[in-house]
Amino acid sequence: MNTASAAIKSLRALLATWRGRFIAVFVLVQLLLPLHYYLGRRDPHDERFSWRMFSPMRMTHCTPHVTIDGAPFSLPSEFHEAWIELAERGRFVVVEAMAAKLCREHTGAEVELSLDCTYLDREPRTWGGYDMCRVPML
Amino acid sequence: MAKSKKSRGDRKPAAVKAQDKPVVAKTAAPAKVIVEQPAFWFGFEVSPAKLAVGRVVLFGLLALDALLQIRHAPRYGAGGFNVAQIPLLDSLGPTRTSYGVCELINAYLFTLAAFGVAVRWVLPPAAAIYAWLYFGSQLDSYQHHYLVSMILICACFVPWQRARDAAPAAQQGAPSARDTAPTSRVATWALRLILVELAIMYLWAAISKMNGAWTNGTTLSGQIIGPMRHLVDATVGVPLASKLVILVELSLAALVWQPRFAFIAAPLGLAFHAGILFSGLEIGLFAWLMLAVYLFVIPDRVYIALATRLAGAHKAFGVVAAWFDGALGWVMWLAGIVLGLVFAMLARFEYAGRVGVVLLVVTIAGTVYSIVRAPGARRMTAIGLAHLAAFTLWLATDRAGTVAIDYYRFWGGTSRRLGDLAAAERAYRELDAVAPDEPAGHFQLGRLLLGEGKSDEALAELHEAQRLSPGDARPFTVEARWLAGHGKSAEALAKAKDATYADPNDKDARDLLDSLSRGATPPPQAP
Repeated sequence: MNTASAAIKSLRALLATWRGRFIAVFVLVQLLLPLHYYLGRRDPHDERFSWRMFSPMRMTHCTPHVTIDGAPFSLPSEFHEAWIELAERGRFVVVEAMAAKLCREHTGAEVELSLDCTYLDREPRTWGGYDMCRVPML
Repeated sequence: MAKSKKSRGDRKPAAVKAQDKPVVAKTAAPAKVIVEQPAFWFGFEVSPAKLAVGRVVLFGLLALDALLQIRHAPRYGAGGFNVAQIPLLDSLGPTRTSYGVCELINAYLFTLAAFGVAVRWVLPPAAAIYAWLYFGSQLDSYQHHYLVSMILICACFVPWQRARDAAPAAQQGAPSARDTAPTSRVATWALRLILVELAIMYLWAAISKMNGAWTNGTTLSGQIIGPMRHLVDATVGVPLASKLVILVELSLAALVWQPRFAFIAAPLGLAFHAGILFSGLEIGLFAWLMLAVYLFVIPDRVYIALATRLAGAHKAFGVVAAWFDGALGWVMWLAGIVLGLVFAMLARFEYAGRVGVVLLVVTIAGTVYSIVRAPGARRMTAIGLAHLAAFTLWLATDRAGTVAIDYYRFWGGTSRRLGDLAAAERAYRELDAVAPDEPAGHFQLGRLLLGEGKSDEALAELHEAQRLSPGDARPFTVEARWLAGHGKSAEALAKAKDATYADPNDKDARDLLDSLSRGATPPPQAP
């Protein structure tokens, strides 16, 4: 009980100054933000802000396939190779943004995009494979 | 942390340091209640020598890193596409120009910080620019840049200049002479926060590795190469090394923020990141930056011993510095300012000259402001030298490496692939101007100009590429195809032969020679 009250007293003292409040928010955010990857992130390939350096997921390789109205589309003609590398790492938001751009530039066309991914620790999986102008998320 | 058992570095705050005044909490009671701030944060003290060494190395490295990043600027905004780290920033992300200019500015600001010049003023904008460049685009996929961004935010609150500012007062016999002694202490909650941030990073990094694909060595074996791989294979093997990595990261998470365990955490962390340095991982300056951060983990007694031993040199430095108290200080400032501008003009980074002029104006304004606040010619010398050092770093990084050349080459290549031929031509012309002996610029410009029908200029560029790179078949094959396309079969055949002589292993050159020898249509040029 004494320990708890000492902790509360210490926390109140910390939060009494702007420095203390800054420290509290900073530490809390840094401690909890990585949880987002494990609990709520829809994209398993997106390891940003979670300190997952050199993790097995980093070894994922995906091959993006794009067709516009059924005809194969070459991503390097439209996007910088660094973005294609991110797509090959399976980053959903990047792939979705690519599809959105193609939909804007080819109004009325069917932009079909799929990602064939291979993993180090799980079975291969294909994401997407439908008209992303109608369903803009993987 | 129990207050009763304070570690080295964790002192009782408030009563000692003016900047950590006791907090006066307003309550309903008539008398004001004094609340003591938590010692864990506000009682954290370090040696001024540690702050000084860490400041020089960390910000010096960040200045260099900023310049090395410029080669990647052309990818930003290419094709009008960007996805930010934070959703709403997509349209506010950096472009090629803003990225390059901001990295130049940051290299300048970090150098000033390394020199201890106006640190409180230069760090906040540097941290803001760094954060914008990182959070503005997912093109920066280095997680350690996120870590640096967090460290920089905290670093804005570290009293980097406190020990240094005390020095002149001490020399004048002021009461603060105690602050300049090697054993003096500087209170800094922000440095404690940086160490806690490191611990959090290690903790989550260890958690992310607690799975079969890591512990059985599969993941590490797919990433680690170089001398470290040989060492691991010859000793513990990759599976055990993988488990040891988790153990080391958990240990560092537990120890790195506690000064009383610095004698364990510092060698462990330094060895760990030195190992990463030799592992062949493509992580830029990450290992070096981490080694620099560990300067804040090394026990204070090391710095105190160092400062004590160098007391004589410090005294001599004080004598030399005193020479610049008068007119010589202003001469040094002026020399630094003028030479700095010359160096900025000589640097081959795009916009280096213009950014150099703007920074010069800002520095002069800062100098005027500094004089108005507190005259002191010796400080002018420091400003002049830091200014000169920043532009010397620009020039040295440019001339000793290929950053500027890569920048124009990548800009040209990106523009060409994305169909912006005007931008590609501009980039290759710039490349020819800054590096006339670089064959890639002449070759690509020649190819572009041929496509535009400017055959005379194009052929001149191709001939220059052939002269500069006689072992590269491509300038020969491009010219041979153009000759064949313009009905000059004999010249085309001769040029195709030259291509095979240049590089006998070039398949495209051999196929071209074969088809021209048979009188057939040449195969299309490889992209």
